[in-house]
Amino acid sequence: MGMLDAYIRRFLAVLRTEILVLPSRMAVVVFVLLLLALPLVTQDGYVLRVMILTAIFAILAASWDLLSGFTGQMNFGHALFFGVAAYVTALLNLELKFPPYLSIPLGAVGGVLTGLVVGIPCLRLKGSYLALTTLAFPIILLGLVFAFPGVTGGELGLSGLSRLTGSRTGDYYLITGLMLALGGVMWKITDSNTGIILHAIREDELAARAAGINTTRYKLLAFCLSGFFAGIAGGLYAHFLRLAGPSTLEVSLSFQVIIWAVFGGMVSIYGPIAGVFILNPLMEALRVVLERFPGLPEMRMFIFAGLVLVTLLFMPEGLVPWVRDKIETECPRCKIRNAFTRRRCRVCDAALD
Amino acid sequence: MKRHGWIWRVWLGLLLGLALAGTALAAEPIKIGVLGPMAFTQGEGHWNGASMAAEEINAAGGVKVGGVNRPIELVKVDTNEFLSIPDATNAAEMAISRHKVDFLVGGFRTEAVLVMQDIAMDAKKVFIGCGAAHPELCTRVTKDYDRYKYWFRLTPINSTYLGKVDFILLGTVAAIMKQTLGLEKLKVAIIAEKASWADPIVKAAETMLPEKMGMEVVGTWRPSPVAKDCTAELSAIQRAGAHIVFTTFSSSVGLTFAKQWGELKVPAAAVGINVESQKSGFWEATSGKGEYTLTVNTYARVKITDKTIPFYDKYLKLYKEAPNYTSGTYDALYILKEAVEKAGTTDSDKVVAQIEKHDGIGTAGREVFDKSHDITWAPGYVTSIGSQWQDGQMVCVWPINWEGVTYEGAVPYKLPPWVVEHWKK
Amino acid sequence: MLLDIVIDGLIKGSVYALLAIGFSLVLGVARIINIAHTALYMTAAYLIYIGAKPLGLSPLVAMLAAVGLTVLLGLVVYRLFIQPIQEHEAAVLIATIAVAMMLQEVFLMAFGGHYLGVPPLVDGFAVIFGVKVTFQHLLALGLALLMLLAVRVFLMKTRLGLAIRATAQDREVANLMGMNVTRVAMTTVAISVGLAAVTGAIVVPLVTVEPTMWMHPLIMMLAIVVLGGLGSIEGSFVGAFLLGFAESLVVFLVPMGAFLKDSVALSIMILVLLIRPEGLFGVSFEEER
Repeated sequence: MGMLDAYIRRFLAVLRTEILVLPSRMAVVVFVLLLLALPLVTQDGYVLRVMILTAIFAILAASWDLLSGFTGQMNFGHALFFGVAAYVTALLNLELKFPPYLSIPLGAVGGVLTGLVVGIPCLRLKGSYLALTTLAFPIILLGLVFAFPGVTGGELGLSGLSRLTGSRTGDYYLITGLMLALGGVMWKITDSNTGIILHAIREDELAARAAGINTTRYKLLAFCLSGFFAGIAGGLYAHFLRLAGPSTLEVSLSFQVIIWAVFGGMVSIYGPIAGVFILNPLMEALRVVLERFPGLPEMRMFIFAGLVLVTLLFMPEGLVPWVRDKIETECPRCKIRNAFTRRRCRVCDAALD
Repeated sequence: MKRHGWIWRVWLGLLLGLALAGTALAAEPIKIGVLGPMAFTQGEGHWNGASMAAEEINAAGGVKVGGVNRPIELVKVDTNEFLSIPDATNAAEMAISRHKVDFLVGGFRTEAVLVMQDIAMDAKKVFIGCGAAHPELCTRVTKDYDRYKYWFRLTPINSTYLGKVDFILLGTVAAIMKQTLGLEKLKVAIIAEKASWADPIVKAAETMLPEKMGMEVVGTWRPSPVAKDCTAELSAIQRAGAHIVFTTFSSSVGLTFAKQWGELKVPAAAVGINVESQKSGFWEATSGKGEYTLTVNTYARVKITDKTIPFYDKYLKLYKEAPNYTSGTYDALYILKEAVEKAGTTDSDKVVAQIEKHDGIGTAGREVFDKSHDITWAPGYVTSIGSQWQDGQMVCVWPINWEGVTYEGAVPYKLPPWVVEHWKK
Repeated sequence: MLLDIVIDGLIKGSVYALLAIGFSLVLGVARIINIAHTALYMTAAYLIYIGAKPLGLSPLVAMLAAVGLTVLLGLVVYRLFIQPIQEHEAAVLIATIAVAMMLQEVFLMAFGGHYLGVPPLVDGFAVIFGVKVTFQHLLALGLALLMLLAVRVFLMKTRLGLAIRATAQDREVANLMGMNVTRVAMTTVAISVGLAAVTGAIVVPLVTVEPTMWMHPLIMMLAIVVLGGLGSIEGSFVGAFLLGFAESLVVFLVPMGAFLKDSVALSIMILVLLIRPEGLFGVSFEEER
């Protein structure tokens, strides 16, 4: 009893001192709780499907941020990792009958290898050259997909993969849980030593190299890590839809990833995740709303693009950083973040503003 | 206004039902989800065909189920399947779990239909496909009947049959060329978009033409389905000395090809499948350059059955466009109506049993489903037709005296004059 | 056969070159990767269709009006949505993607996914060394070459051209030299959009007008710009013809693989970059900080 009591007390203390002090941390906790509670409120297959796909894309967008946001290696062809992993997962599952818990990680390994293959030539390129070159890879691969329909199924893709858990709620908890866990891992990576080095490369590669850092190795590492997480997303997607098709490699998907991530706020991991969780369900909400006006033409994508455009005018750094700056202020002395309601810093007691 | 018309009709039906039978049963509508890319021609076809049938059926009193006349209510489901597969699956799921549709019709891009088929089968909803031609969709029914028995394909005929009609058309044109131009051995260039539905046709053509039909294949070109330029392919075909160019196109490349073919007056008759040339906008889009293009088709203003011409005319009048094969949703609704009435319920398993037994005259021929729930292709059943553009009109040029089948209103095939000019001795 | 490849490649290359030069001007001067560049090219094509078909204007009038309107649209978009967030590279990037998507959706809403066409200015074809070439293609080639020449003269011989080149080389120094960099940027945007629109006008009778027609040229254009070297006009020119010829070569030599022409063209680009990371004509600049 005493043990349990101590744990609860410890938990409450952490809650009070670490979470309740900052609105953004509260928001994260509320978000996680809401996600986990959703199936208790509704078992609607449609809602759960939308949220599952949202979670998968959230992993993808966060993995883009890991590479492009943190390391500054603008990737215009992020669908490449997603698509390769989806196909590898599908092939392993269909041909070798690997169950999902093997096929998805191995698919992600495919993503890592792709990261290596693409990363090595791309190391020589910088800035816009890199961005525009990465765009080419998924398109080249798409050509190969059509060239070997025997292996890839051509434009049909590979269908009939085994199910993940068998129930929609099960799938939901599995994928949402993975999304939260992987999001946490990615966030931890960016917060670690490695993450700081990646950040340094983005800010000033020359200086990083002058400080004795093997920037080449770290950039390659970023490609591989990003490929891994994007690969998991690709594998989950293939198993959830039970299909890996050419649409996973299309340019529009690569563009979509960039929109989600930049809209949410780059260089933060949670920004892109928030971006997906806002934009993707919004698209579906629009579907429901617009259905009431059957006279209107199909305008969901138009509204979507317009919304992104207008939002950027006010929040060019992305949504999440903008909101964070509104609800929190940084202490001018010790750089610790405080809730906007505070007059004095919670750590060093310096006056805020 | 339309909506109000609806409500009135439902109320009227209700009141009449109450007054006449004295039963207090509410005429709950039968909901049918129409799946299709609604911003594109294909989706418009799905929706228009289905709306026309639904209005007709409702005007005639609806569907009689167990003594109650139930109206049909359509749910427009935009799958956006050309641009996004997840969108398509979300839409299908929404139709089933939100709108609680009883049946589904439509679908076009095979990659999307495969997934939507799975969603429908999970929910045990009858899904009549009107758009995707790939055999895999029906092979699934034979492989796992209990799961996939709710799937049926009405249009188009599957790619194997499509290939057969394709070769018959090719043979017909070849015979005409030999006869009028006195040619000995014909050279054929094969051009097919790089898509897997076209692969079996290309393969068959490469072996069939030299071995069975006595023609020489001078080359095979596989442009991308969305290629924006075919001049390179066309000059290569001309250089190869082809008499006939055998086309297999379902996407925009067909339009590009036909336009540039006519513009450059390539001396090879274009025969085969070109879905773009089945649309009424084809003449305008090619500025008339696509004249003489011959394609396998589902509808034209010709008497395939007694229903075809009235359907064609009404459709053209209502929507300012000729029906294409996705408008087969029209027949799909009538098949569903009949099956539900015979089964006396909307229960999926019982309806499936009735559709399996279905044998009726539709707008595209006598419609019977085979063991794999695919539409039967044969003389006297659904045959599909060959249509050619002649002087701004899409006319039916086949079948004429094929296995005893001639459709009233069909006219003879015309060779392009520049082809005649070039090969005339 | 060789002749077919040369002629076909020339026509493709000249159209790509026009697009690529407009794109690389804006990239050089305003540092904008303008994904919407080919969407504006599509806009011009649609406007010409509207002018020529439903409104029944003469094709030439429709083309002039369309080019003017497209330039206007380009400037308005630039002023309203791009300029205010110019400092945020990533935001500008997705803003241009969003603009491209909006244009696509507008035309999808207005015309559906129907494939539309505009009749050629001149009918018929010529036979050059046994190769059939439509007059419209010849006209396109001639106009494209003329436009390329005009751009070259403008950049090299006029004061404004000099200002554009100077700004492209070093924005800050140009500003210090008393140039109105903002105005130079505006002018460049106008010229770039104008080039896109003219390209649209040139090719509209040759292609099918549909809402996703901007995708393929976009990819080829990006590949050409990178291949030739960012910001280099000569590079874009040579790159365009290289990839144009590559596409034709694939179609003629590997007919079964005609669908692979994009993949081959893009692979060539990557191979070149492996050997010369700054592209064919790019300046191998010291590491920028």
